[in-house]
Amino acid sequence: MAAPQAWFLARRTGRGFDWIVTLAQAVAACALVLALVLTGLAVVGYSPVAIVTRWACGAAGGVYPLTSSMVEACPLLLTGLAAGLTFRAGVLNIGAQGQFLVGAVTAVGLTTRWLPAAAPLVAIPLAIAAGALAGGLWALLASVLERYRAVPVVLSTILLNFVALYLIRALLHGPLQAAGTAAPQSPLIPARDWLGVLIPLSSFHWGVPAAFLVAVGFWWFNTHTTWGFETFAGGLNPAAANLAGIPVRARQFLIMFLGGGCAGLAGVFQVLGVTHFMTASFGDYGYAGIAVALLGRLNPLGIALAAIFFGLLDVGSQRVQESTLALPQGVADVVKALVILFMLLLGAYLARRHLQVTSLPEAAPPASAGAAGPPGSGN
Amino acid sequence: MLEWFDISKRFGAVTALQGVSFSIAPGSVGGILGENGAGKSTLMNILFGLLHPDAGSLRVDGRVVLVRSPRAARRLGLGMVHQNFKLVDTLSVLENIALAVGRGPGLIPRRRLRRQVQHWTDQLGWRLDLAEPVGRLTVGQQQRVEIIKALCAGGRWLILDEPTAVLTPQETENLLDSLRALARQGMGVIFISHKLAEVRQICAQVLILRHGRTVYAGATAGLSVQAMAQKMIGRSLEPLTRAASGAGPSPQPRLELRAVCAGGGRRGGETLQRVNLSLQAGEIHGIAGVAGHGQDLLVRCLLGALRPTSGEVWLDPALGHWRHRVWPGACIPEDRRREGLIETLSVQSNLMLKDYRRRPFSVLGVCRFARWRQRATELVERFDIRCRDLSAPVGTLSGGNQQKVVLARELADTPPLILAVNPTRGLDVGATQFVLRQLLAARYAGAAILLIHSDLDELLSISDRVSVLYQGRLQATAWPAASRDDIGRLMLGV
Repeated sequence: MAAPQAWFLARRTGRGFDWIVTLAQAVAACALVLALVLTGLAVVGYSPVAIVTRWACGAAGGVYPLTSSMVEACPLLLTGLAAGLTFRAGVLNIGAQGQFLVGAVTAVGLTTRWLPAAAPLVAIPLAIAAGALAGGLWALLASVLERYRAVPVVLSTILLNFVALYLIRALLHGPLQAAGTAAPQSPLIPARDWLGVLIPLSSFHWGVPAAFLVAVGFWWFNTHTTWGFETFAGGLNPAAANLAGIPVRARQFLIMFLGGGCAGLAGVFQVLGVTHFMTASFGDYGYAGIAVALLGRLNPLGIALAAIFFGLLDVGSQRVQESTLALPQGVADVVKALVILFMLLLGAYLARRHLQVTSLPEAAPPASAGAAGPPGSGN
Repeated sequence: MLEWFDISKRFGAVTALQGVSFSIAPGSVGGILGENGAGKSTLMNILFGLLHPDAGSLRVDGRVVLVRSPRAARRLGLGMVHQNFKLVDTLSVLENIALAVGRGPGLIPRRRLRRQVQHWTDQLGWRLDLAEPVGRLTVGQQQRVEIIKALCAGGRWLILDEPTAVLTPQETENLLDSLRALARQGMGVIFISHKLAEVRQICAQVLILRHGRTVYAGATAGLSVQAMAQKMIGRSLEPLTRAASGAGPSPQPRLELRAVCAGGGRRGGETLQRVNLSLQAGEIHGIAGVAGHGQDLLVRCLLGALRPTSGEVWLDPALGHWRHRVWPGACIPEDRRREGLIETLSVQSNLMLKDYRRRPFSVLGVCRFARWRQRATELVERFDIRCRDLSAPVGTLSGGNQQKVVLARELADTPPLILAVNPTRGLDVGATQFVLRQLLAARYAGAAILLIHSDLDELLSISDRVSVLYQGRLQATAWPAASRDDIGRLMLGV
C-alpha cells in the first residue's frame, strides 16, 4: 500500500532538478495566495500598497525586523522538522505541540527549580539536552503504544498533545508556579541562563543559527546516511523494505525520537531565548510546524525556507496590526492556510499530469536488441 | 459487430498504438496477443473509455461511437474482466454484482439480481454461493464473479485481460469451455493473453501487436504456436533446455521443514498440516498447487512473518541461525509491486535495497553513492533492464523490467538459498523465459531454490523435484517420472 504521505513529498520524476520544480511550485503558491488576499483586502477597502510596504518593513525592513522574523522562524523550523522527518518515515506524528511543551517545561524546571545554582555553562547545555530528550521520549511514547497496543500514532500523538498541555498546567499551578501569583505562571528564568544574544539590542539568540544547523544536519542525514535511506524506504513501502531486511520498526522508533527531540529543542530555545518564563498559553508552534513541514515538502532545507516565510509573515502581520491600518488579526493565518492548500492543489495537479506522462508503456526498444537478453546472461 | 479502425495513441514522444484495426463478430472469440508494453492494455483502456485515442474510431453494430468513460462503455454493452479483479473482498458475491449493476441511489433489487445471476450461472453450469464474502473465494471463483458481473451489467462484448494467468490447468480448461458457451449464446469475447496455446485453442481471429503496431490480424487456423510467438516477439523462441551437466542436487539439505503446522485458528481459512520439506543445494524444488491451498502460509512461515503453530524450520548452520522474521536467502516475492519494489523510488535505490548497508556501498553508515551508481549500472547491463536512466522511479518501468530489477537485486551474488513465488506472474513470453533462465543459472551455480508457482508447465520445465500442496498437505511426487496429468490430479485432490 502506498504511504498516504507520499503526496507531500517532493516530486520525484528522476529527471534531475526536481527541487527547482518543487521550489518554483512553492513560490508560485505563495505569490498566488498573496495576490489573492491582497486583492480581497483591496476590495474591502484597504490599500494593498500600504499593507505590503508596512508588512515588508515590519518583517524585513532593517536589522531589527529581520532578526525578529528569524527568531520567530526558529521554533517553527524545529517543530517543522519534528513533523517533516517523521512524515517522511511514514509515521504521522501530529504531536509536535506536546513535544514542544514538554521540552520547554523541562528546561524551565531545570533552570528555575532543580538546578538553580548551577553555573550557566552547566545549566544551559543540560537544559537543552534534557528538553530535547524529554521531547523525544514524549514522542516515543506514541511509538511504543503503537508497537505494543496497536494504537495509531496519529491518534496517540494528538491526544498526547492534550496530556502535555494539562500536565503543564498542573505543573504551573503546582511545583513550578512563581511565588506571589495565583496565575499559572513559572518564575522568571535567571538571566544568566538565558541564551546569549548575537546581535546587540535584538532578540537574535544563538538558538536561531543552531536550529538552522540542525536542519542542515538532518538534510545530510536524510540524503547521505544509510539510516536516512532506510527511513525513507520504510516510509514509502514498509512491506518491501521489511522484506529487503530493513528494520523498519526500529527506524521508525529512531525517527520518532529524533523528531520529538527537535520539537523539544524548539521549546527549550523558545523559553531560554525568547520568553524567559512560561505560562499555560505558550504558543502553538507545534501545530504550525505541521504546516511548515508540508510547505517545505518534508525536506529539511525546504522546511527551513518555509519557516522563514512563516516567520516573515507572522512578524510582518503583527506590525501591520499595530499600525494605523488596523488589519484584522488572523489575516496572516488565512494566508498561511491558503498557501498550504494551494501547494497541495498544485502538487496534486502536477502529480496527475506527471502520472499521465510517465505511467505509459516504455518506449519501444529497438527491435534488434533481443527482448529477453542473451540466454545465460547473469552467470 | 465490434470494430475499431486505425486507432492511434501517443504519449508524449512514445507511440503506444499506431493504426490498429480489428473486429469481433457476435458469437465469436477473438484474441489479442502481444508482449508487455506492446499496446494491449492501451488498446483495452481505449475500448473501455479510460483513454481517448488520438486518431481512429470505434464502431458498435455499425454505429460510430465515442467512448468517453467506462460508464459509457458499459452502456454500449462492453464488459471488462480486469487482470486484477475489481472486487470488494468483504462484500458478498451478490453485493459485488450489485455494485456493478446498480444505477444511482436506491435499494438493491436483490430478488431481480439473484434471478439474473441464477440465469447466467445455470447457462454456464457454475455454482456460486451468492452470500459468500468474495474474499473467501478462490481466484478462479472470483474470476467467475467478475464475468457474471460484466454479464449482469448488460455486457454483450466481454473483454478478458489475461484471464488464465492466475488459474490452474483444470480451471483454465473450464474457463475456456465457458467462454465457448458464451460465444455460442451470441456474445462476443475478446481474449487477451500471451499464452499462445490457449489463444490458438479458442480464438478464431487473432490480432498480434508488437510495439504498438499490428503484426498480424486474421484467422488463427493455420498459424502454429511457433509462428505466433515469432510474430509476437519478432524472433523465434529458443526452447528452454536444462543442461545435461551441472552440479546436480547435493545430498546435504540447506533448509528443512519438519512437521510444520500453521494457520487455521478461529477464522478457518488456509492451513498447513504437518508439512515436511527439504531443500538441497543445486536443485529447484517446485511446489505446485492451486492458489489458496496453503502457499501463502508456507511463504509467510519461511519469511518469518508467521510463527508455525508446531513443527520446526531447520537451516543449514553455515547460512546463519534461523531467526523468526528474517529469511536468510534471496526472495522473489509474488507481488513485486507491493513487496518486491518501492515503486516511487529510483531504479538505482531499488537495486541497492539490500546491498546498501554493505561495504563498499556505505562506510560507517554513510552512503557512497558513486559506488551505488557503479553497481546499479553494472546490474542494469547484466540483467538487461530497460529504463530511461537509473534515477527513473521503478514504477514507471514495464512489468518485465520491474521483475528484472527484483531478480538483479536478489540473484546477482548467487545466493545460497532462493525463495521464488510465482516469479513470472503477469510477464510476457520473453520476460518469462528470462526469469526461468536466471533461476536455472542460479541452480547451476549451486543455489537451493524453492519455487512456488501456479503455472504448472513452467514449474515442470525447470524443477528437479516437484511436490504438490493440496489443502495444506504437501505431497511429494515422483517427478520427473510422474506425468503432468498425475500432478494435475494431485493438485485437485483426486
